[in-house]
Parts: sequence; C-alpha cells; structure tokens
Amino acid sequence: MSPRRGSGRRLKAGVAVALAAAALSMLALQPHSAPTDPPKRRSVYPAHFPDGPGRTVAERSCLVCHSATLVTQQHKDSTGWEKSVKQMETWGVKLKSADRDSLLTYLRSRFGPAEPKQH
Amino acid sequence: MSDMGRRSRHAESPLARREFLSALGRAAAGSIALSTLPPWTRAALAAVGPVPELIERNEWPEHWETSLTALGRSCITSNERFFVRSHFPVPKLDPTAWRLEVKGLVQTPLTLTLAALREPPVRETTATLECAGNGRGLYALPSTSGTQWEYGAVGNARWGGVRLSDVLERAGVKPEAKHVWFEAADRATLPSVPPFLRSIPIEKAMKDVFLAHSMNQVPLPRLHGAPLRAVVPGWFGMASTKWVTAIRLEAAPSDNHFMVKGYRYNYPDVDPTQTEPVEDLRVKSVITRPLEGATLPVGRVRIQGFAWAGHAGLRRVEISTDAGATWRPAGFMGDTEPGAWRTWATEIEVLSPATITVLARATDAAGEPQPPQARPNGSGYANNSIQQVTFRVAA
Repeated sequence: MSPRRGSGRRLKAGVAVALAAAALSMLALQPHSAPTDPPKRRSVYPAHFPDGPGRTVAERSCLVCHSATLVTQQHKDSTGWEKSVKQMETWGVKLKSADRDSLLTYLRSRFGPAEPKQH
Repeated sequence: MSDMGRRSRHAESPLARREFLSALGRAAAGSIALSTLPPWTRAALAAVGPVPELIERNEWPEHWETSLTALGRSCITSNERFFVRSHFPVPKLDPTAWRLEVKGLVQTPLTLTLAALREPPVRETTATLECAGNGRGLYALPSTSGTQWEYGAVGNARWGGVRLSDVLERAGVKPEAKHVWFEAADRATLPSVPPFLRSIPIEKAMKDVFLAHSMNQVPLPRLHGAPLRAVVPGWFGMASTKWVTAIRLEAAPSDNHFMVKGYRYNYPDVDPTQTEPVEDLRVKSVITRPLEGATLPVGRVRIQGFAWAGHAGLRRVEISTDAGATWRPAGFMGDTEPGAWRTWATEIEVLSPATITVLARATDAAGEPQPPQARPNGSGYANNSIQQVTFRVAA
C-alpha cells in the first residue's frame, strides 16, 4: 500500500506543478487579449463512422455540415432516424432512393435505441 | 448563512485540493491508453498538462461541454472552460469592419461601430447561460435525438457591454414594435439551411438583456460570439444569439426554423402545432463536489454546487442523503445577481466508512422545486431532474 501511496504523491506533486504553471501562464495572458487557440478537449464518442454497408453514403451526406460524432453518440429508432434524414434532405442533402435506404439501414443497425438508462 | 460560508471556506482548501487532484489522477488513469502504462510514465504524462476540461460532444460545429471538475473550480466559469454550442461554422468577423445595425420599426435607424459600443460607461453583469439541451443525455430514454449533453452545458460569466434597452431608446422604438430580432453572421455550409434568426419579446428586451463585447474582462472570444453577442438572463442559451450583426424591431416574432420548429417542448400528449417555446430557465442545481465515485476521508464531508432559476429567482437548495426521504438546507455563498447562479454548500458528518448517495434539490421563489425526474420531451430539452452523486467515505 505504501509504495503506491508514494507514487501517488509524486503524481499529485507533478500535476500540481504543471497546473500552477498553466494557471500562471493563463493569468499572464488574460489581461492582454482573448486566447486565439481553441481550448483543449477530450473526445468521448467514436470520431469516425464504423465499417459497414452504408458507411460511404453516411460520410458523403452527413460530413458536409457536421462531424461524425453528432451521429455516433445518438441512439434512435427507425422513426427517429427517418425524421432526421428527412430533415437533412429538406436542408439540401441530396440522396438517391437506393442511397437513402442504405443510409437508413446503416443508421438503424449501428445507432439504434439504447438500453434504458438506470437513474 | 454567511458565517457558515466563511467557516467552511477556511476549512475547505486542503480537502478541495486533495479531492481535485485525486479526481484528476483518476481521470488520467481512466483513459485506456494511460492506464496500460507504468505509474512513472503516467506521472510524466500527467505533468505535461491537465486532463482537458472540455468534453467534446461534437467536434464541429462545436458542442463542447464543461466537465464537472472544471465547473466546480469557481463561481465564474473561465472562458477556456465555458461550454460552447454553435449551430454552424464559427464566423470570423473583422472587428474594425463590423457594424451593428439597428433597424426595422425604429424612429432613427442606427449603424454602430464596435468602438462606439465600447465607449464608457461599459456596463457589467454576471449571468448564467445554460444550453436548452443540457441534461439531454441523462433522460432515461432508449431513444434520444440530439447532442447527449450531461451536466456541464452551463456556465456563469461576467459580461461587459451595453444594455439593449439603452440602444433601443437611442433608436426610438415605434409603438407597433413588439419583438426584437437578432440577425447573426453564422451560416450553414449548405445555403438551403435556414440561418439562426431568433427574436425575443420587447418587454424582455427592455428589462435586462445585454449586448456583450467582453467576457470575464477580455474581449469576447470568437467561439462565444465575437465581436458582439446577446445575453438574455434567465432564458435558455439559444436566446443569447452570438455574432450579432443587426437588431431588427418587428411587430411579429421571428418565424425562423429555430423559433417555430426547433426549441419547442414536444410532449407526447401535446398537439405538435400547439407546442410551448423553450424560453425561461427551469430551477436547477448541480453538485460539483464530491465528484461521482470520489473517495473521501471519514469526518466532515463538504457538499457543494451551483443553483439557478428562471424569472422567479432562486429561493433555496436542500440536500438529502436518504434518497429524498428527508432534506436539509444548504447555505448560499458570495454575492447574488438576478441572472447569475449561486454557489451553495453544506457539510455532513460521516463517522465511519460508508458509501453515500447525495441528492441536491433547488426550489425557486415561486415555490417550484426541481422534480425527481423532469418530464421527457421529444428533443430532450430542459432536463432539471434532481442530480445524485455517489461517493465513498473511507477510514
């Protein structure tokens, strides 16, 4: 137990030093100008569409306006995905009938309803 | 109340640091890549910089959420940690060429430069912005539509700028003008997508709406609407239009997609043509400490967070450690401004090791409490369900 606690302390000390440095550099920058670099983020959903029939259509149709994560985080039933695809077509996404079917099958099978959450 | 706040503040700092650092360590260790590495490598990597404080729910357009760790740091959310929600690519506007037009049903149309808007007196206000979809990912539904925000699509900032009422009084509002439309510079990639063009009623516009060109004492960052955004206190965030280019006075509300289709409460039993618009914030509290899964030492455990409400204002926050059977009040800390959240805190005494689930419930001044479960609606808006946090107390 004690060696682990020791390395934990070193980790914490290292983090504390890094944080103090980061805080100081932020303080030094703040009064002069708004930061231009976007803040760092951690991603939590798949960044790409998974393999499978319909993937190419999904990439071609969806990635014009938004990244894949908007889709890969969602869980919708057939009605939900049909509604979304219809909305996107209203907004200018061009889909041939066969491609629409392939896209809907892909979305339903990959991003269908989730297990109910426990709260 | 303030006595409690003072006493606890003095007592909190070692615990706060320990809890934060342990959470940070856990977060770093929790990532798959890091956890497979030996401890000394992890320490070296951790020393490079803290775990990013924004959760990327969608890469672009930006749907970036503040983590609870980051949110809990301070009553004012720093610009780098503030959640970002944009509908379209972020426009890049040249502040010297940019103009604000005031037009429509006004006596004197105006064209204002940024320099003119920055002239003293610069007014400041602290206001909380919460995305209408905050908590969407926490609705207990098998099928949800939209970005799965959890707790942190909310933030509290000090906004600097001019009062919208001052600008409107300068232009002279005609009696038939009933709505204020905010035209903005952001556009979708496809030209057939409608622009983001929302309006607010004139009564709200004259009451407390702000046109902000600074955020926490620096020029408004581009991600947050530079050079000028609306700040509509007490309303969900979609009302606070970013990248504003014109203020248009009209007799009717905007009939834009983001007014008549988006941002409406679609309850299963309500006629889709009779839906209520999403406007007023719902009373809500968030627990920022302890964090879910934290391990704390036996003794006094501090429970803390923020709470806010819509036009009624906030009355109280209570906590429960027995699944809502009994509630005890938390105290408020710091100053209060009508549109800003308040920090609340309390302590519980834990004498032996235990696993504890704590609930926090805010009630507004009209007596409306947060519900155990908010009523789900088609787009997952306004989830103000009572939050619960489970943590461990060890010897």
